[in-house]
Amino acid sequence: MIDVRDLRKSYGTLDVLKGVSFGVAKGVVVVVLGPSGSGKSTMLRCINQLEDYQGGEIRIDGVPVGYSTGAQGRNAHSEAVNARLREQVGMVFQSFNLFPHRTAIDNVMMGPVHVRGVAKAEARDLARALLAKVGLSEKADQYPAKLSGGQQQRVAIARALAMQPKVMLFDEVTSALDPELVGEVLRVIRQLAQEGMTMIIVTHEIHFARDVADRIIFMDDGVIVEEGAPERILSGASGARLRLFLRRYQGDYLAS
Amino acid sequence: MDYAAQTAVFLLAQFPKLLAGFLITVGISAAAIPLALALGLALLAPRMAKSRPVRSATVGYVDLMRNTPLLVQIYLIYFGLPVLGFFPSEFTCGVAGIALQHGAFLVETYRAGIESISERQREAARAIGMNRFTAFRLVILPQAMMRILGPLGNQLIVLIKDTSLVSAIGVAELTMTGKVIIERSAASVEIFVAVALFYLVLTSVLGAAFRLIEHRVAERI
Amino acid sequence: MFNVLLGNLPYLLQGALVTLWLSVAVVGLGTLLGVGMGILATTRSRVAQTVVTGYIFVLRGIPVLVVMFLGYYAFPAFGLRVNIYVAVGLAQIVYLGAFVAEITRSAILSIPAGQIAAARSLGMRRPAILRQVILPQATRIAIAPLLNSALTAVKQTSYASVVGVWELTYAAREIVERTLAAFQIFIGVMAIYFLICYPLSLAARWSENRLSFSH
Repeated sequence: MIDVRDLRKSYGTLDVLKGVSFGVAKGVVVVVLGPSGSGKSTMLRCINQLEDYQGGEIRIDGVPVGYSTGAQGRNAHSEAVNARLREQVGMVFQSFNLFPHRTAIDNVMMGPVHVRGVAKAEARDLARALLAKVGLSEKADQYPAKLSGGQQQRVAIARALAMQPKVMLFDEVTSALDPELVGEVLRVIRQLAQEGMTMIIVTHEIHFARDVADRIIFMDDGVIVEEGAPERILSGASGARLRLFLRRYQGDYLAS
Repeated sequence: MDYAAQTAVFLLAQFPKLLAGFLITVGISAAAIPLALALGLALLAPRMAKSRPVRSATVGYVDLMRNTPLLVQIYLIYFGLPVLGFFPSEFTCGVAGIALQHGAFLVETYRAGIESISERQREAARAIGMNRFTAFRLVILPQAMMRILGPLGNQLIVLIKDTSLVSAIGVAELTMTGKVIIERSAASVEIFVAVALFYLVLTSVLGAAFRLIEHRVAERI
Repeated sequence: MFNVLLGNLPYLLQGALVTLWLSVAVVGLGTLLGVGMGILATTRSRVAQTVVTGYIFVLRGIPVLVVMFLGYYAFPAFGLRVNIYVAVGLAQIVYLGAFVAEITRSAILSIPAGQIAAARSLGMRRPAILRQVILPQATRIAIAPLLNSALTAVKQTSYASVVGVWELTYAAREIVERTLAAFQIFIGVMAIYFLICYPLSLAARWSENRLSFSH
């Protein structure tokens, strides 16, 4: 469903992505691991065109993302086309990014009402169902400021789900959470995986990665260094860079 | 000669007069600024006093300055004082009016800076054994000065622009000079564009200077 | 003691009425102009950004009185005969617009980029993002500074008298030149301005206190 080929991106003279290629079939969960600065978040943001890219190709269900290559070379897509694409790709951010001036349920309704033109009553029903799904029915009318980090992130997930996306992208969604709140968010993501949602998850939670990933990609310095099934990647049989990374992030992981 | 050349020659001829007016503007500012700064400082203690009447009186003064136009205050001083038997010069009246108004604004700027240093800083200072005065001097004041510098710079630039008002009572500063040149010659908008340029240079240079000072002070602290 | 003032009060009140009309026009149109330019400055157009930045920089660096003189002399210079209220009023509107543009721009830019990213990732386009995410929050942030600029603009209508516009301050000078009762008249005029401005000033202070706590 998602096809990334030789993705290249730079900020000015700084090369952030140096030829990344991988594919994600429908219903598959891919977890991306890597140290800071490896380009994993940037890659995610290229997939839904929050960032543009200079080289390579990204396709979702065969449809090119951001640029079309024609006879005259590369043509950038208009913002309108990109916005339509983003309706099908849900994204959840590290800093939640809820709209503070709206209640939880209003946040979830934002997409359907203001992008798809769904009637408010219908959108509200959908939103209520989604909030129930993430376990926050009773918080529907609360403002984000009154919610804990874990609760805010779950609302953010519901908000993304409200657009009924084909793919969900998770960008280090538990990194900003207090440890005891991480579990409730991972639980929701695990449930989505079981329901067959296609997902790309960037995370530091290695135990979770092993648990939920169909495939793990390890990125470093703008390229994919290792890729494969969790059991193989996360066992002792991995390359030096990955082992260094694992040791740094969860020193006791290999021992367990 | 075409329009541009004619205008340029004309403006150059007027340059000495405009420069003289500009220097008067600088003079008024140089006189009013220290007075306003000092007045603001003098009002600071009563503004934050424990005694309610003292505080209210100061707030009343600040509100009065805040809600009445500077021009009217200047007129009051210039036309009103002779009634009481004083005859200060136009220059003095202008400087006094400007200083009285901006002193009131400045006390609020000082106060905001000081009050913005969080209560926790004060507690922390006391916790390590400083008394109230030392705490103020070594902890609050340096940080408050940092917070004050930005708004202070802006306020002083407003002050300099306000000096244009004393043209209304006949002081030959930059704006008045522009008006006089137009009345005495066939000149028009171009003169005031030149006047505007003078002010723009003055405020830009000062604005840049203040930002530089802010940076330097920030490095020290 | 205040008999000259009282005797001339009707005339002064007429002046006050003109001041009020001028204030409403300048604040209304100036704020509208400024908000529009402020929003323009946050678009991706380089041209718009440069133009608005330049406009703000120039107008904020010169005295309002000079802008009023420019307005007064500009129209005849181009061969247009315009009512003095319109000429000087327009000058004030353009002047206030610069300050409001800066307030608007910085309020909009203070909305965290993450929220914009989140809105975009839902498929929202810029007009919807502006209306649903940015403006509701930016308005709360901007209200106090906007009220303060309105207050300043009201006071600055008095400066128009220097250019020859008849309003409250001009009327006051006329009376003083005739009666020489400067003290009473100007104190009375200050009182009238105070009555006009104080509500605005209270509103500004109220909004500073109340609206700085949320979020």
